Amino acid sequence: MLMRSFAGLLAALVAAGPAAAGATGSSRMEGPARRVVSLNLCTDEMVLRLLPPERVAAVTWLSRDPSRSTVADLAAAVPVVYGNAEEVLGVDPDLIVAGLYTARSTVAVLRRLGHPVHDVGIPTTEAEVEAQIRELAALLGVAESGERLVAEIEARFSALPIPAPGPRPRALVLDPNGFTVGRGSIVDAMINRAGLDNAGAALAVAGHGAVPLEVAILTGADILIVDADRDRPPALATALLQHPALRRLGRRITVAEVPSRLWTCAGPGLADAAAILAAAALAHQAATPVAGEGRP
Amino acid sequence: MSIVRPRPIVPGDRRARRLSLWLALATLLLLIVSIGIGYAPLDIFKALQDGLAGRDSLESIVLVELRLPRALLGALVGFALGLTGAAMQGLLRNPLADPGVLGVSAAAAFGAVLAFYSGLSLLVPLALPLGGLAGALVATGLVYGIAGRGAGTMALILAGVALSSLCGALTALALNLSPNPYAAIEIIYWLMGSLADRSLDHVWLVLGPIALGTALILSTAPALDALTLGEDSAASLGFDLARLRLKLVVGAALVVGSAVAVSGAIGFIGLVVPHLVRPLTGHRPGRLLLPSGLAGAVLLLGADILVRLLPVRPELKLGVVTALIGAPFLFWLIWRLRRTG
Repeated sequence: MLMRSFAGLLAALVAAGPAAAGATGSSRMEGPARRVVSLNLCTDEMVLRLLPPERVAAVTWLSRDPSRSTVADLAAAVPVVYGNAEEVLGVDPDLIVAGLYTARSTVAVLRRLGHPVHDVGIPTTEAEVEAQIRELAALLGVAESGERLVAEIEARFSALPIPAPGPRPRALVLDPNGFTVGRGSIVDAMINRAGLDNAGAALAVAGHGAVPLEVAILTGADILIVDADRDRPPALATALLQHPALRRLGRRITVAEVPSRLWTCAGPGLADAAAILAAAALAHQAATPVAGEGRP
Repeated sequence: MSIVRPRPIVPGDRRARRLSLWLALATLLLLIVSIGIGYAPLDIFKALQDGLAGRDSLESIVLVELRLPRALLGALVGFALGLTGAAMQGLLRNPLADPGVLGVSAAAAFGAVLAFYSGLSLLVPLALPLGGLAGALVATGLVYGIAGRGAGTMALILAGVALSSLCGALTALALNLSPNPYAAIEIIYWLMGSLADRSLDHVWLVLGPIALGTALILSTAPALDALTLGEDSAASLGFDLARLRLKLVVGAALVVGSAVAVSGAIGFIGLVVPHLVRPLTGHRPGRLLLPSGLAGAVLLLGADILVRLLPVRPELKLGVVTALIGAPFLFWLIWRLRRTG
């Protein structure tokens, strides 16, 4: 503990705080931040995985919900905030990590008050995920933890089963409200990583986009990827998945249930999501003995 | 307001019947167009062949499970709204009455919301429409109980208004208490009305209540005609007005409750269609009923085809489109009333 803070101080003296380069208003900081507040579910996940609990001043309340977060157990050990600027000021952070698209008004207030804020974007590829983790780890002065996390993610990816030869099965994401995922998203990257073709990409959907059910069915996808969180409160959004037309597709389509928390954020969960998809791909190929026979 | 002319029964009735026939043909035509139109190119003939042969091809699934129910529900809901609008305007002798005037729409919406967000939907797949139907029927009982068997039209309207605002408040309360943070947004969208991605299950669910309610409403035609002479005159002609109100209230609950339960609240059709048809049938509310229902079906099918042809995705809500078309008509109606009145 003492050693680490000494090392941190030394690093700050020698390199004039290179770790704080990404943050604004770094005048308040001397060395790596000691009280970090995270204002976004995904930055929560990275901060909690990278830092010891005593350096995390607060994360968002969302991280404690096991249906949304992959780090609910870690989040239980640290305080939570609901994203109000007042709460954040109350825990007196020396670094705020926020998502590029969330809690913007809170972030603006905190910036105006001179607090250093580091924004984290949304990664769309495996490489961006790793770069993002390394960047944040360097900023927090825990580069070695960052490398460990990246290595863990890579190890889980390399443990994925090798896709069977032959044509790649086609998969379509059907999210609540009939949304699907096209090119240019981490979900698309994971679908490809698992040895599948993303049928949503052919629908000219960029990022997320709504597709009518008839379009979804007529894509003739082999695998339907749905959100697996069944213990959520009832929502009209998920009622679509009970439609008889989907039930009648029956055995010609394999349903892969991926909890959305696995691939919402940059973290080891991504590889778990890819593993579920890869297993579904193998199951589908096993159920279709001769390639091409299953479809007219 | 209306002048009672000597009754040229036969020509007028024949004209109304011919009009109904044309409107029925138009409904049929639009049903076919509605099935033919969609978001993805569909080989209808292959779909039809596969469907008839019982083969579960993707095309036949889309045709039978998605396009067909959407078209059928468009016709049924439009018919329900047009018919009830005409009946309510006849019963209340007020050109601004609409199908929801007795509180049935608001009650159906509340029933649906309650059934869904209470978690009942996890146990019963069709909880939402079933809840809507139940809400409408309970509301009817309430309106009738409050207004009383002997009460007049005014009491009925006031009971309907009171019930509408109570159900609106209860819906908001249910949404406040829902564990789903998106419930309010979801239900606001749902209430704007849509026929997207409904299923044949919905059709089977509402077919019975709509048929029964339609029969009840159509059976009141002679009494509605007599009512144009005034309540006292109608009673002296031997029509039992309490019975007429009961039939219409129950009929409206079945028909409109079903419509709201499967499609949300689609406004203006029930209000505007009777005014469109009335000049063609003569000012006899009984004769207006069937053509008005059929014209409602034509209009709603047309609006539903329109939302799919417009390049707006996700598609516009039906209630939005019908209101955008209906509101200018209403202004015109008011303007015309001002000139004649």
